[in-house]
Amino acid sequence: MQANGAAQFGRFLFVLLSAVPIVAGVGYALLYSLGLTGVMAEGMTGAHWREVLRDAAFWRTIGFSLYVALVSILIALAIALALVLRSPRTFTKGSLSYMIYLPLSIPAIVMAFFIFQLLGKGGWLSRLAHQLGMISALGQFPDWVNDNYGIGIIVAHVVMAAPFFTIFFANLYENERLGDYLHLATTLGAGRRQRIFRVGVPILLRRGLATVFLYFMFVMGSYEIPLLLGSQSVQMVSIRTIQRLQRYNLGDIPEAYAISVAYTVLVVVLLSALLWFNRRQMRPS
Amino acid sequence: MSRTVKAMLVGLILFPFAFLLMLSVGRQWPYPALFPQQWSLANWAMVWGGSEGLSNSVAISVLLSTSVAALSTGTSFWVSRHIAYHPKREAWLSMAYLPYVFAPVILAACLQFFFILAGLYGTFGGVLVAQLFITFPYGVIFFSSFWNERLRNMEQLVKTLGGNSRQAYAKVLIPVARGALATCFFQLFLISWFEYGLTNLIGVGKVPTLTIRVFQYVNEANLFLAALASCLLVFPPLLLLWVNRRVVFKG
Amino acid sequence: MLQTKNISKVFQGEQVLEGLSFRINEHEMLSILGRSGSGKTTLLKVLAGLETADRGQVILEGQDITTVPANRRGIVYLYQEALLFPHLNVFENIAFGLRLRKQPESVIKDNVYALLERLELPEQAQKMPEQLSGGQRQRVAFGRALVIEPRVLLLDEPFGALDSETRTNMQDLLKGVAKDYGLTAIFVTHDLKEAMLMGDRMGMMQKGKLNIYDKQADFIADKATGVLEEAQFWINLQDLKK
Repeated sequence: MQANGAAQFGRFLFVLLSAVPIVAGVGYALLYSLGLTGVMAEGMTGAHWREVLRDAAFWRTIGFSLYVALVSILIALAIALALVLRSPRTFTKGSLSYMIYLPLSIPAIVMAFFIFQLLGKGGWLSRLAHQLGMISALGQFPDWVNDNYGIGIIVAHVVMAAPFFTIFFANLYENERLGDYLHLATTLGAGRRQRIFRVGVPILLRRGLATVFLYFMFVMGSYEIPLLLGSQSVQMVSIRTIQRLQRYNLGDIPEAYAISVAYTVLVVVLLSALLWFNRRQMRPS
Repeated sequence: MSRTVKAMLVGLILFPFAFLLMLSVGRQWPYPALFPQQWSLANWAMVWGGSEGLSNSVAISVLLSTSVAALSTGTSFWVSRHIAYHPKREAWLSMAYLPYVFAPVILAACLQFFFILAGLYGTFGGVLVAQLFITFPYGVIFFSSFWNERLRNMEQLVKTLGGNSRQAYAKVLIPVARGALATCFFQLFLISWFEYGLTNLIGVGKVPTLTIRVFQYVNEANLFLAALASCLLVFPPLLLLWVNRRVVFKG
Repeated sequence: MLQTKNISKVFQGEQVLEGLSFRINEHEMLSILGRSGSGKTTLLKVLAGLETADRGQVILEGQDITTVPANRRGIVYLYQEALLFPHLNVFENIAFGLRLRKQPESVIKDNVYALLERLELPEQAQKMPEQLSGGQRQRVAFGRALVIEPRVLLLDEPFGALDSETRTNMQDLLKGVAKDYGLTAIFVTHDLKEAMLMGDRMGMMQKGKLNIYDKQADFIADKATGVLEEAQFWINLQDLKK
């Protein structure tokens, strides 16, 4: 009726601010990677894509990003589920229910800096080990940051994700009345382990799947943490993309954009898998 | 949970804050000392003194994050209503998830060209617009569950009682949404306040927010100033969180 | 007073309203009986201007208001839920319509307190909605509508969510208030007894069609309303006892 104009303008604004930037960004990156735009544009060519797809370092980057995300999320989930299922009330009532929110006030760049100062060769743990006589020189401390296994990166992500998941699951526990289900399971004869692994964990994970998955993507695309804690030889996707983009060699730029597009495709595939899985779960059999 | 485990958890939670605070008031920290050899408030005095540009960065960060949060909370509130009441609501809403397909920094990389074209590259306005691309869709998703049949009925009731659209917003929708608006504002403020990659790429160092400062000091191997800038980043949200956890994370 | 001419509406391929033409007189309460999905809510929303009909006219006091927006019709639509504004207390909820019209404070006070008195709520003025019982909330909702002296009041199952005792009280109260204020109203319900109690005249809505009975006897006599069937049930029960 009379509000029609406003509604149309609202939806126009929505498209303008959410879809247009993405479409423009992917479109530009795609054109650039195909040699159709940019300073060095030499006309339609698949050379950059061939280069990227044949480059073992590119696949290592994708694999490393997936590995870091997977390991970080699994460890954080294990910690959060253990804490919540062990004593659910602790995180919804009392002082810890406040305290557990505090780590959320630490941004990624600060977390990266903190982990560096904690785990680095000259960091606090290294000093502690020295004081305790476990090592006698700085060089003896293991490589926990800027290492090839991404230990520092993973620790930083776990420290950020574990409190988040703990809060998330503690609230789910309450809202889904998981306590009642666990009681029910007990009356049906379930033991402690069975209660946790056959009722508690499956319910929490199923209800929290979408959030866990989005966090997975967030870790995979993370930038600040691997920027400070990653190594030069194996890089995460964001780092490799930005680094190639900012090099003086203009020939690297089309490849950087090819990586961006490839990464986007990967994310879209993973997202569709999630949506498909979610829909299958929802569908009444 | 036993008292010991609880105490350990509290210790673990508080440790990073204590550690950063310690470094921010430290001077000289030779290996293998556990604590700095000298303590001084000189670094903190500098913030208020205005040297090193730290106070400038505080001002830029506050201004940027407040503007981003206010703009995106306001527009996403209004826009999400038109999305939520559309018959094809789900299809529209899925568009709001699009920006999360990209990592923010990669989004910035792909949009760099357009920002240069628009003359927004390396400007405060450019960073603001770039951050809106992240915060606005988030706000729309946040508010999409706020609009429901009940609220729609309430809005229609205002109409039959003689109120126009403007009055429906001013006298009912906004007052009813006050809690949700505050929560959304704070969450968007945090997203902006914490942002580094996108800000760095679009701002090209000319919009030195606090996160940019932290990285700059780390690069200069000035860990005391990096810790200080970290504290400036962490303590305002920490304070707000502590004061009102419910308002902040209700959504 | 209020008249409709040949109102029709199709929604998602279904004929929700089919050529409705009827009229209600001033100070009359028309009760409409209908199951859920019979189109009664849609009819009320069309009358209130909250939805548009595909065809037909709505005429109020001789004036065609079909295209007049909801906020200028002076027709108030009340939902089953009281929908009190959660951020306002009882007094402010009732005063709401007067504040929209920027009435002076003294007028607002006099009117609101008079209504609070009539609705048996004088002690509740400063309470917030969540502190009230279901019946009290519904009374506040009436007050909020009555204070602006609506030309027509549309009631969509207003007592549907109340327990039977409160419901009976509220029916009495509404009857009394309607008389005092000379209300013109349409009262929609799926409850047979309520329809007969509340209406000066009665109608029956089925699959988008409305049948209005001028005499109560006609309403009772029509098999479709289910009055006879209901009566027979109680009679049979009585017979069994003997």
